[in-house]
Amino acid sequence: MSWPFPKLVPRSAPVIVLILTLAAGVAFAAVSHLVARYNANQQTRGGKLYAQGLADAGAARYDDAIAAFRAALTCEPTNSQYQLSLARALRDSNDPRRLDEAESYLTALWQRAPQDAAVNLALARVAARRGSIEDATRYYHNAMYGVWNSDPDANRSKARIELIQFLLSNNAPGKAESELMALATALPPEPIAHLQAARLFAEAQDFTGALIQYQEVLRLDQVNSSALTGAGQAAYRSGNYATAQRYLQAAVNANPQDASSRQLLATADLILRTNPFRSHISDAERNRRIAAAFVQAGHRLTECAQQTGVDLKAATTPAAFPLSSLQSRWTAAKPNLAYLRSPAETNLPDTIMDVVFQIEQQTAAICGRPQGLDLALLLISQKREAASQ
Amino acid sequence: MSDLASTDNSPAPSPGRPSARLQVPSRLFSTLEGVFNEEVFFLILSVFIGIFSGLAVVCFRLAIDWMHLALLGPLPQTHSWRLFAVPSLLGLVVAALVLHVFPSIRGSGVNQTKAALYIFNGSIPFRTAVGKFICAALAIGSGQSLGPEDPSLQIGAGIASALGRQLQISREKLRLMAPVGAAAGLAAAFNAPISAVLFVIEEVIGRWSAGILGSVVLSAVSSVVIVRWFLGCEPLFRIPLTTFKRPTELIAYAVLGIVGGLASVGFAKSIGYLRPRLKALPRWTQYFQPALAGLLVGLIAFLGAPQIMGAGYDSMDQAMHGQYAWKVLAVLAVLKIVATTFSFVSGTPGGMFAPTLFVGAMLGGAVGDLERLFFPQLTASTGTYVLVGMGVLFAGFLRVPMTSVFMVLEVSGNYEIVVPVIVANTFSYLVSRSLQSVPIFDMLTRQDGLILPSLEEDREEAILRVEDAMLPVPTTILSAEDYVDASARRVQNSAGSIFLVRLHPSGWNIITRGQIQRLFQEGKGEHTLASVLPAQSLPSLYPDLPLDSALRYVNDYSLVPVVNRANSRQLEGIVSRDSVFQKYGGKRTPATS
Repeated sequence: MSWPFPKLVPRSAPVIVLILTLAAGVAFAAVSHLVARYNANQQTRGGKLYAQGLADAGAARYDDAIAAFRAALTCEPTNSQYQLSLARALRDSNDPRRLDEAESYLTALWQRAPQDAAVNLALARVAARRGSIEDATRYYHNAMYGVWNSDPDANRSKARIELIQFLLSNNAPGKAESELMALATALPPEPIAHLQAARLFAEAQDFTGALIQYQEVLRLDQVNSSALTGAGQAAYRSGNYATAQRYLQAAVNANPQDASSRQLLATADLILRTNPFRSHISDAERNRRIAAAFVQAGHRLTECAQQTGVDLKAATTPAAFPLSSLQSRWTAAKPNLAYLRSPAETNLPDTIMDVVFQIEQQTAAICGRPQGLDLALLLISQKREAASQ
Repeated sequence: MSDLASTDNSPAPSPGRPSARLQVPSRLFSTLEGVFNEEVFFLILSVFIGIFSGLAVVCFRLAIDWMHLALLGPLPQTHSWRLFAVPSLLGLVVAALVLHVFPSIRGSGVNQTKAALYIFNGSIPFRTAVGKFICAALAIGSGQSLGPEDPSLQIGAGIASALGRQLQISREKLRLMAPVGAAAGLAAAFNAPISAVLFVIEEVIGRWSAGILGSVVLSAVSSVVIVRWFLGCEPLFRIPLTTFKRPTELIAYAVLGIVGGLASVGFAKSIGYLRPRLKALPRWTQYFQPALAGLLVGLIAFLGAPQIMGAGYDSMDQAMHGQYAWKVLAVLAVLKIVATTFSFVSGTPGGMFAPTLFVGAMLGGAVGDLERLFFPQLTASTGTYVLVGMGVLFAGFLRVPMTSVFMVLEVSGNYEIVVPVIVANTFSYLVSRSLQSVPIFDMLTRQDGLILPSLEEDREEAILRVEDAMLPVPTTILSAEDYVDASARRVQNSAGSIFLVRLHPSGWNIITRGQIQRLFQEGKGEHTLASVLPAQSLPSLYPDLPLDSALRYVNDYSLVPVVNRANSRQLEGIVSRDSVFQKYGGKRTPATS
């Protein structure tokens, strides 16, 4: 049984083709209208689900967010924003099995728009979750140089900062430092941006760079207590004790409760007061400082020996050997103190202080980090060593 | 152009004489009529079939999506009453429509299209296409475990058939309309034109036919263009990174192929066992069979596996990205087989393509994950096994080996996995063939009392060739330059009564002993054979030709020479009517002179 179908069509091929073309055009227009209406309905429905998903994701309810985004995607399967949000939710849900799916969505988006900075940033974060430094760096760079829909400069800085944090947390300080250099040149004149950069420099053990950034913060905001403390600490860590003293003093003045700065300030003061190699001090003062350091090193050696139960005079066991060797050197050098004032003995201060530094470094290794003057001498030794290298 | 120019200077038309202006279109049409010979017209028609089928499939997909969203919501949640209420109630509606309004739309539609080609002269009632559209959209949209591809195939075939009948094209072409429309419908539904073309050739047409290939390709491509225009170019799945690094991993894929083959056999046998039994039940039960199937599907979904509802492409996508543990994947594969079996045998209109892909995907993921559990050195991802698994079930269950390979390649767009796919599919196909001799679609047609040709049977059938019926080269071969008296002397001592004559520069002819003797008696002994034989030479055959081609000649000629393809003057043997008929008579003994 078949439905009647009027046989209207003339049996002329060109006419048939013409009629079929017209019929196809009409059908095409009708289906276009239908699809447009359907898509409009789906967009409305999808939009509501998407908003719900965003709310869930914002509240860290990632399972609910994923379900909502998936539902939104059933309404608009090709919506890039929905796909991106679903990928982010999958990534942030802390389920390693979902990383693959997140990456798949993002890769598909990336293939469509490789210049899209948001997609590259999301891919970079997936790579960061996987611990892949190479991929993460590539995608972060793509994000930095990609196209942002809004506020590109701030977003680029954020992306670079994120990359630096990732590199630092993955033991790649060298790469982080080069990124920091680039970051420093493109920072906006805002204290908070420089403050963040300064902290990253400090985290990367580049205290000189950190100090420069803290100083930039202080140039923009002279009473920024975080910057004062940071600058003081950065200067202290970089061995620039005079500058450290200045900033730490200001930090302590601004915040007397800051015990850490106070302690660093005390050490910095001590270093400045006891460092025999400091410029602009007289020979007499230098000799006095050397003598005081030598005596202090002797005490430190004895204390350390006592602390570890080593008899410096017996010196028979291998474990005791470094301390007894130092004791021998210290004893041998002691008579030379008398010749410090002799103009002919130009190398003597260095020779004596070498013994002091050896003692401080060895005892620090054996008995732990010292306090007070010993700490100051240890820091001076480290600074000298760094300078000689 | 000159015609158009001449109209500018033409005199004003006189009454009773057609004007030149009116003559122009008629001349144009006459010219176009000449361009549109039947072959060209059929090719153009194929493009229109593709366009109309593509538009219909777009509407069909929207209808399914809309039904699904309206009835079940965007993402079905477990423990919702709608999960079993909707497919059950819609099952009743579908059953009533199938029994009273659209009686010929049960099942997938592939067999009906094939039957239209071979039995009904390409005729598929337009009503069937409409019914398939409505009922399949209701069934699949309500969550029955069936897919939209096979109905799309039948909708395309129905549109093509209706168009062909309406245009009153020749019976020969009308027969071909159904597969052309089928390819368009399937390509649009699957967004995969190559697989659609291959499937139609492997399963619907059932044999390789160069004559229709162009039309099938044109319709498939044009329908895919339409679908992509409206629904976008997004692939069915987001394909994860798939790699094939070590050849030893092929063992893992072979295991997947074997498991897939076994699952295919179980799936096909369960359908083959249940379908005739449910059909044999009293007619009133058919009102409730789709509803009960819907209830079963709904209960499975309600109890925690909503993934098995409908086509399940979203779940396949998630499986591809490692969202399920292997145990979940295995359970989903089994549940999908159960749900699809009951949905299909209940007579609910809907397809087997998507469920087959679903089962294959889940099974592939489960086997792959399990293998990696025992052999962590395997490098392929879960997604790779899911993809290969899809092809495995296609090869084992639908028994379309070529389509199964190209389907995976087309869906994944990754040729790196072609070797794993071929290996796994081959194992699956061989296991399935060895355990179940009749493919699923052939089994369904036979259950419906129809016997249709199949490519698999064709492949297995031994083709008789000319060389099988060939007799050795005769000892006496005459030359056209021989004299009649000399020839008479030669044939006097030779066996046989018919002799081949080699013509110059090429060609063959025959002459009988009686003809030679008569010519000799007539005093033409001084004449050459060339002068007394007709100028027309005999047709010749080649040894590799099908024996059917010899049938055209053996009734008209007592002997037909079989010559070498490289040198037509080199005789390989001869065939006679007796030697050919002896072969068709079933005697397998070699032909003797």
